[in-house]
Amino acid sequence: MASALTVLRRLYLSIYNWLVFIGWFQVLFLALKALKESGHEHVYNAVEKPLLLAQSAAVMEILHGLIGLVRSPVSSTLPQIGSRLYLTWGILWSFPEIRTHILVTSLVISWAITEIIRYSFFGMKEAFGFAPSWHLWLSRYSTFLVLYPTGISSEVGLIYFALPYIKASEKYCFRMPNKWNFSFDYFYAAILALGIYVPGSPHLYHYMLGQRKRALSKSKKE
Amino acid sequence: MKVTLVSRSGREFIKGGLELNDSATVADLQEAIHKRTKKFYPSRQRLTLPVPSGSRERPVILNYKKSLKDYCDGNENTLTIVFKDLGPQVSYRTLFFFEYLGPLILYPVFYYFPVYKYFGYEEKRVIHPVQTYALYYWCFHYFKRIMETFFIHRFSHATSPLSNVFRNCAYYWTFGSYIAYYVNHPLYTPVSDLQMKIGFGFGIVCQLANFYCHIILKNLRSPDGSGGYQIPRGFLFNIVTCANYTTEIYQWLGFNIATQTVAGYVFLVVATSIMTNWALAKHRRLKKMEGRSTPEDGLFFLHSCRTDR
Repeated sequence: MASALTVLRRLYLSIYNWLVFIGWFQVLFLALKALKESGHEHVYNAVEKPLLLAQSAAVMEILHGLIGLVRSPVSSTLPQIGSRLYLTWGILWSFPEIRTHILVTSLVISWAITEIIRYSFFGMKEAFGFAPSWHLWLSRYSTFLVLYPTGISSEVGLIYFALPYIKASEKYCFRMPNKWNFSFDYFYAAILALGIYVPGSPHLYHYMLGQRKRALSKSKKE
Repeated sequence: MKVTLVSRSGREFIKGGLELNDSATVADLQEAIHKRTKKFYPSRQRLTLPVPSGSRERPVILNYKKSLKDYCDGNENTLTIVFKDLGPQVSYRTLFFFEYLGPLILYPVFYYFPVYKYFGYEEKRVIHPVQTYALYYWCFHYFKRIMETFFIHRFSHATSPLSNVFRNCAYYWTFGSYIAYYVNHPLYTPVSDLQMKIGFGFGIVCQLANFYCHIILKNLRSPDGSGGYQIPRGFLFNIVTCANYTTEIYQWLGFNIATQTVAGYVFLVVATSIMTNWALAKHRRLKKMEGRSTPEDGLFFLHSCRTDR
């Protein structure tokens, strides 16, 4: 019975990974197409649907980790997915004024390339059972060297440039007085988010560098 | 006897090892290491017996009071010890003092100074009685904690890593400011008079009970810090393993019933989860030590005590 479950698991994960891969591939394709044909101001409109879908689908990965379907620790996937969803829904979708910014282009392209590599890697592992050739494997642990800085800078930049729109709109704010003496100010929360990026990004980058070193030294031994 | 010191990776930590008296204690060894290395004072040293590679047992930590002979099994003349640097250490008293000083000083700032002007509010006109009582309650609580740190608590030999000062101060000072901001807010909405009295009354009772728990715990240890790993008895300790944590948690509940802020309740939840972890660990430790005579977890929040309280 265990092997039937294993087959089911692999089938499900293969379908999941390849579907999301297609989503991100669409994002990259449409982004480059819009960039070439209309300019960076129109990139968001071109990619909105597949972006929202593909990025939101990542929530499934938290579930996968929790129920033990995959081995990734929830503690590392949660902040990554959290920041992605925050940018996608909390900034880009919520504040249309920021959508024409050029950093949107660098953001979606960085994200899309990273995710295309990641999902195809896992897709192949689940579907064909083996890790792809060292060439592809290397790109998984090497492209982040460029894509993390470009992606993170885009994220930080977009939050920063969206700040005036956040403050003016008063969206997602909960004010006092109320009987629970509670308040929430989305503007200050955004500033706090920026504050977290300061120690958070080098920490994450450092972690990835460590992962890369381990993975590459392991392959050297084989 | 000759003591060979190795790091956890197996490298020799002190070239040539150290030569000590046959009757030397671990404390003597620590002094010798300190003298040789200058930078590693005794509280920074973690000395353990080597564990056979592949074994998953936890290494035996050397007790500073025991003599080195007790750890030699067989060869009376040589001993290999594994050394680990714990990093710069501070005494628990220092750590606690700075943790508690923040809330004690920061909270009154929100009460007495026109802080809310900088958040865009006009200067406060009305101060509700509950806000004043909350100030007294809060400041008394942290004053009590500082007094207990210097006059009641008996600490074991242990110290805490310096990095904990930053981590713990961040926790206490941030939460202290977060709560103070809301309780003293110009748009603060007080609860009913009855609810306030129940909250503060219950809180004070729990604080007194908590103080008594600390007295009981203090009496488990002699003034030099030895003893302490015993099951506390009497008073609430007959019902729960760590009555001091239980009373502390309920004391915060009292404060929150009286002041009713989301910030206060968030703090309560976080503090409770931290203390619950400590309690479960101590409960397990005590149980292992003395068999079945520990109180079982029956009531809500039965907690173990940290080794230092």
